[in-house]
Amino acid sequence: MSQAHSPLLAVENVRVHFPVRKGFLRRVVAAVQAVDGVSFSITKGRTLGIVGESGCGKTTLGRSVLRLLEPTSGSVRFDGRNILSLGGASLRALRRRMQIVFQDPYGSLNPRLTVRAILEEGLIIHNMGNAAARRERMVRSLQRTGMPLEALERYPHEFSGGQRQRIAIARALVLEPEFLVLDEPISALDVSIQAQVINLLVELRTQLGLTYLFISHDLSIVEYVADDVAVMYLGRIVERAPAKSLYAAPLHPYTLALFSAVPSVHPQQRRRRIVLTGDVPSPSRPPSGCRFHPRCPLAEKVCREIDPPEVVLDGRSFHCHVAAREVEQSGGNLEAASARMTILMSQLTQAVAADERVSTPAFLR
Amino acid sequence: MKPSETIPASHTAIHSRPPPPRGFWGDAWQRFRRQPLAMAAMLFVSLLVTVAIFAPAIAGTKPVLCRYKGRLYTPCLGYFSRQLEPAIFATDRFRGTYPQNLKTKDPASWAIWPLIFQDPYRAVRENEWPGRPANPAKDEGRPNAINLFGTDQYGVDVLAKMVHGTTVALLVGFVSMGLAGTIGIIAGALGGYFGGWVDMLLSRVTEVVMCVPTLVLILALVAFVEKPTIWKTMAIIGATGWTGIARLARGEFLRLRSAEFVLAARASGAGPLRIMLRHILPNALAPVLVPITFGIASAILIESSLSFLGFGPPPPSASWGGVLNDARSNLAMWWLVVFPGTAIFLTVLSYNLIGEGLQSATDPRLRESRK
Ligand SMILES: Nc1ncnc2c1ncn2[C@@H]1O[C@H](COP(=O)(O)OP(=O)(O)OP(=O)(O)O)[C@@H](O)[C@H]1O
Ligand SMILES: [Mg+2]
Repeated sequence: MSQAHSPLLAVENVRVHFPVRKGFLRRVVAAVQAVDGVSFSITKGRTLGIVGESGCGKTTLGRSVLRLLEPTSGSVRFDGRNILSLGGASLRALRRRMQIVFQDPYGSLNPRLTVRAILEEGLIIHNMGNAAARRERMVRSLQRTGMPLEALERYPHEFSGGQRQRIAIARALVLEPEFLVLDEPISALDVSIQAQVINLLVELRTQLGLTYLFISHDLSIVEYVADDVAVMYLGRIVERAPAKSLYAAPLHPYTLALFSAVPSVHPQQRRRRIVLTGDVPSPSRPPSGCRFHPRCPLAEKVCREIDPPEVVLDGRSFHCHVAAREVEQSGGNLEAASARMTILMSQLTQAVAADERVSTPAFLR
Repeated sequence: MKPSETIPASHTAIHSRPPPPRGFWGDAWQRFRRQPLAMAAMLFVSLLVTVAIFAPAIAGTKPVLCRYKGRLYTPCLGYFSRQLEPAIFATDRFRGTYPQNLKTKDPASWAIWPLIFQDPYRAVRENEWPGRPANPAKDEGRPNAINLFGTDQYGVDVLAKMVHGTTVALLVGFVSMGLAGTIGIIAGALGGYFGGWVDMLLSRVTEVVMCVPTLVLILALVAFVEKPTIWKTMAIIGATGWTGIARLARGEFLRLRSAEFVLAARASGAGPLRIMLRHILPNALAPVLVPITFGIASAILIESSLSFLGFGPPPPSASWGGVLNDARSNLAMWWLVVFPGTAIFLTVLSYNLIGEGLQSATDPRLRESRK
């Protein structure tokens, strides 16, 4: 895909390190490298999905993109301006254009304020019209999210989780932003409501021409919502591709393992299950070389030593020594490379599983 | 089964008769009301407030309302402040004794008298009230029909002293804890919200102030200051009693500054002041109010102890602790111990009960379990 327009959001080498303090003097003894050198960009009107296991830094990334926490280094350009170097009024002006919906609708609405006060606050801060105009905007926003107008005078605790999430979406929309960070917006909701909220978000995107950064750990939802997908592991993006291409031919071993755990919608495409062993390493002491190597069945000597460089091809990119070699050997046929790696990985992990079967009784597994 | 019909039907049923929306404090009040002890304590404190406001009309020797030389006066206000006592009674040389003077200097006058004709600052003399004997002094003054709570060594009515001392007991609590609450919440809020060196500095200051013994500081004040008024005492109690509140407020602000609704407000462009006042403070207030009510109780105790030790506000001013102090010179006068002691005990107990009631009415864990 050619870069016809300049991107709405361009994230460049963002790092977020949380200092770990210890002892009486509260000295910094280490840093949790929650996000460690992430770059991506989103073109206007498109949706980038971010997937990855719990603790890999998705929430931290989403929040630093809106400067809700201060990144350690890097730049975040929104519409060409680096929001990390802005301050005061110019930052506030940009804030109106970029909003966020949080995962937990119980924690994201102030329990002491009525829905009216919650929705109206941003309008007052940004001087968006007089009382009548503000009311009109709030009403429109509630209607868009399918909430009744009576909700205005009520308190958050009077609503169900799904309704609260609609209110949170209405709060984000009332400022008429162009860009939304959606941080696992449905994973705290009842399964029966998840589909409604997802469909609402998709509808709103087309109606209002919104750009989304959609964070989730659910691959099938990301496939449904996102145009492009970035896979995160331990604070880094390990693979990035248009959704269609990624789902057809995942290349990074971590992506392959993630996908193999998803029950496929298409039975003829039944995937081989790849079970990863070991735990995610601590983000305060990431492994040497490739961060995934301690859990990667395909890891070689080079993986332990050298951090794999980014390989860019066909509008997608990944960081993996083995995949780079496989792609080269298959003559650039990504699907063939992906299939070969899947088979290799499942054979290797099954061998490991077979070993374990001998030593551990069934009820412990 | 027709789900397409049943679901919207129940949906509209929920919205057709909405119950009146109740905010957090409305909710908390409903739960507070269900606690009989806390409500009784609340009632007792309300009673004290009423007594404090209407003290001159309950016990005194100055008419609540009188007509004198063709005009209406309210001499009883003189108990609040000397200046409020109409000047005409000074120029006509009443010398504080109204009943006889009114009759002799203007036979056409009339007056509405306080419920109890007794003065908190001096003994009532013989025939001051027509046909009534003088107040008994020394240990003769045990409780009787005229002096319900007895009199002190000088023959001053104890009930009148206590009625007028209610103001001090209440003011000490409210003013000193109002001050302590303000300082504590501001210090805790700044430290918890901004963190870093601000927090470091404020935490150290809090620790230093925490080490200062309030009573000793007040005694030092009494030793060095010419006129140790009740206001200065309250200022010291307030200026040293904010540390616990500051610690609690700091914890709440620290916890809430990264709450998602606070991040959402920041994403909407809200600045630190708006976030602290509108988003964090209302959510942090309930836990902070609890130590404030306990602080009121301990302020009352401190004031009583001071007065008991003889460092209280100098006369003319009445306080419960002052009555207790009179008992030190003659322990046989048990009524000087029992009545003010009971009043102090009940007041302190009430504030503690209110604090506990408040705690269980606003504690989030209890709120959740109610659902
Ligand atoms: N304020 C903080 N201080 C220290 N460490 C933090 C802080 N916030 C997050 N972390 C750490 O950073 C890492 C990334 O956390 P983050 O919440 O971004 O992950 P996530 O991908 O959103 O996980 P989840 O799927 O559970 O939401 C975790 O190891 C977490 O413990
Ligand atoms: Mg998260």
